[in-house]
Amino acid sequence: MDALLMQRLEQLNRVALTEEERSDTLAFFEKRFADMKTCDSVDTENTERMVHVFPLENVLRADEKKKIFSREDLLKGAPEHTDGYWQVPRLLE
Amino acid sequence: MIYTVKNENAGAKKIALDDLILTKDYPTAAGSRMLENYMSLFDAEVVTRLQAAGYDIAGKVNVGEFSLDLLGETSYFGANTDADGNLVSALSESLNDADACLCVDSNGTPRRAAALSGQCFIKPTYAAVSRYGLVATVCSGETVGVLAKTADTCAEILAAVAGHDDKDGTSLPQERIDAAKQATEIKKIAVPVSFLANLSADMKAVADAAIADLKAQGVEVVEIEDEILAFAQPVWNTLSAAELCNNINRFDGVKYGYRSPNYKNIEDLYTNSRTEAFGILTKMQLLYGSEVLSTENYMPVYDKALRMRRVICERFAEIFGSFDAVLLPACSQTAYSTTDTDTAYNESLYTAPASVSGLPVVVCKGVQLVGKALSDGALLALAAKL
Repeated sequence: MDALLMQRLEQLNRVALTEEERSDTLAFFEKRFADMKTCDSVDTENTERMVHVFPLENVLRADEKKKIFSREDLLKGAPEHTDGYWQVPRLLE
Repeated sequence: MIYTVKNENAGAKKIALDDLILTKDYPTAAGSRMLENYMSLFDAEVVTRLQAAGYDIAGKVNVGEFSLDLLGETSYFGANTDADGNLVSALSESLNDADACLCVDSNGTPRRAAALSGQCFIKPTYAAVSRYGLVATVCSGETVGVLAKTADTCAEILAAVAGHDDKDGTSLPQERIDAAKQATEIKKIAVPVSFLANLSADMKAVADAAIADLKAQGVEVVEIEDEILAFAQPVWNTLSAAELCNNINRFDGVKYGYRSPNYKNIEDLYTNSRTEAFGILTKMQLLYGSEVLSTENYMPVYDKALRMRRVICERFAEIFGSFDAVLLPACSQTAYSTTDTDTAYNESLYTAPASVSGLPVVVCKGVQLVGKALSDGALLALAAKL
């Protein structure tokens, strides 16, 4: 992994690191990938993946319209809003 | 506590909540600048249940950012230290003002807090307590537990909050959760010796004393060789980073949370808000999680971790064929004066086996006792005797 790949990850995740943070993060990655590599000593070819420790049953509910929160309530936590909508910078010039 | 509640309900027990638990009447920040002053529109299910059972909320307790760290040191609102400069968990300090504290265990922080402060903590069987209304980080393993001075108090508060919840798609059926209340006796405990190898002298003495206490209670304690459980450390860190990446990508500076004042367009808004609001450990975990889910790494790393999770669960099942519980240290040292971004990872060696397998754990006398699924009552009954 190199700095270019790290920049791609930063762009994908919408965060920006300083050069020093990038270097530290590369070291952080190196250790974790190396530790995961040690798992290769265990043969898992015939082992099923385990996403959840207990089997899950799908939870269904009636397909009925519900109004849980009002528009006003949902906008209360917004950093900026106007005319009942979340406000973001102009997308098209 | 970062937010204290004044109560008029004389005589009711007071319960503190860690700051990953949503409350509609008090702010919830999850230790992050991203959620500073955030007010939820609803209470977490555990809060609703506590109040319905007559308990008072004592306040909200500071945690490390999304509780990914060692003892709360990555909180945007600052870390606690004692006079000697050692880290002190705000979770354990909350018991100065409350009878118990509900804590979200995603990377073992409350277990370390309990072990270092001599308190008791139960991380219940995964999905025995509703996760509805948590600031989600690691959905396949995070669990709401109870920190208290005694095992009896842990048991009392756990009984109040545990139970099936339709609002949590992972919640266990009620009849299975009821089974966790049974206090069958724990008679034989395994100690994987490899986990004792790198303890400080102080922590080794703590583990030895706990083993002596167990033997004094008539429990048979047997050292075993094990080469599988330690794989839980990289496995848990890979799975948790991948899940964290998905969970915190919802924070965009638009609908709620921190918005940077420095932006010219929507890309700047997203990137600057997240860059300014997240701490470095969160960013590293986020990027690592994103990378393990990439086309290149999905099969060799993420898929491998999911298969290893089954290997670890099967290893626990094998041990439980001969033993009732497994004793593990909760951490390698009895105090931490400094940390870096690798400290929490290194210390997760001890807490990851129960996180990855969803098994219940009681921390008492400075060590962890990991039990079979739904043996929560039995673990607490044993802890109450120690």
